[in-house]
Amino acid sequence: MSTYGRIVGAFAASHAPGITGWPERAASDARAAVEQAFTEVRHRIEELEPDAVIAVSVEHFTNFHLGNLPAFAIATGDSYLGPSTPEMARFVNVEQHSYPGAAALGSHLYSFALGAEFDPALVEGGLEFDENFCVPLKHLDPGSKYPLVPVIVNGVNPPWPTPKRCYDFGRMIRGAVENQTEVKRVVVLATGGLSHWVGLPESGHINEEFDRDFMSRLESGDPERLTDYTGEEIDRAGNGAHEIRTWLVAAGAAGVGFDVLAYAPVPVWLTGTAVAAARL
Amino acid sequence: MYSIHRLLWDIRRHPDVAARYRSSPDEVLDAYGITGEFRTWMKDLDFKSMYEHGVNPYLMFFCAIQLEVDRAAYQAQIRGEKS
Repeated sequence: MSTYGRIVGAFAASHAPGITGWPERAASDARAAVEQAFTEVRHRIEELEPDAVIAVSVEHFTNFHLGNLPAFAIATGDSYLGPSTPEMARFVNVEQHSYPGAAALGSHLYSFALGAEFDPALVEGGLEFDENFCVPLKHLDPGSKYPLVPVIVNGVNPPWPTPKRCYDFGRMIRGAVENQTEVKRVVVLATGGLSHWVGLPESGHINEEFDRDFMSRLESGDPERLTDYTGEEIDRAGNGAHEIRTWLVAAGAAGVGFDVLAYAPVPVWLTGTAVAAARL
Repeated sequence: MYSIHRLLWDIRRHPDVAARYRSSPDEVLDAYGITGEFRTWMKDLDFKSMYEHGVNPYLMFFCAIQLEVDRAAYQAQIRGEKS
């Protein structure tokens, strides 16, 4: 008898380019806290022995543009290039290489999403990574051994999908994993956020109050609290804070609260930087 | 607005466009139909003015990376600390 797939772990982490691009410029205690949390998550993922990782992030106009900007997209390729250009590779200090794709799980997720009345864009191939996945995966999967299903959420250009829609998209992901028998053990990894301003005069500011409040909601796991944001409320933590939508997807997929393993406001990395693990 | 957004994106994504923009900006701006103030701002890499007139800051920032504009120079420019 076939066993159904299940989400065995869910994690969330910032993907600030400075984490890998210029780690030495952060305060030593902040850098150590963040890197230790990444190491902790890497070990946890190794122990979970996932067959695939559903990786949820925004993308920063690396693939999509304002002639075609999906609210959600699911990639079904068997490999992904990252970082997308040599310049981006130098920027984030990640060697350009190919990441493996979990194509069959991606196709199932896309099909299941449509059946569940979500309407993501299909990206059958050609998706390239920027810091969204390259930065956290340098710490979490340095050998790029886990097959990925990249899921992209628009967090870079308003209007954005609502927080509730993002949380529900995560619930849908859990349903998709549990309604197939090919891929048994799946980890969900969300990357993005927290407060930061990208390309704006406020860049380098951190809204620590927003960050700590968001993490409190994440720890609670309460869907009502997690999704009780307006776009304007998120805006107060910067245009980059809209990336918390990816964490909401992971929260929906996990269905439980998270432990925050590290949080540090790091102005030189331009973000409130955190790493969290679902209590699964 | 779409033309400027498209140019910023194409510079970021297509090395040949970035190279052509570096060597012959007017030729590229003509090809994208960018005129008036946006043309001046783009030629001057005046990110502050473009931001104040609705250009997406992500597209500007990542275009600047691709043109290898120093991050500190970008920040000074967007903050109006450098003309």
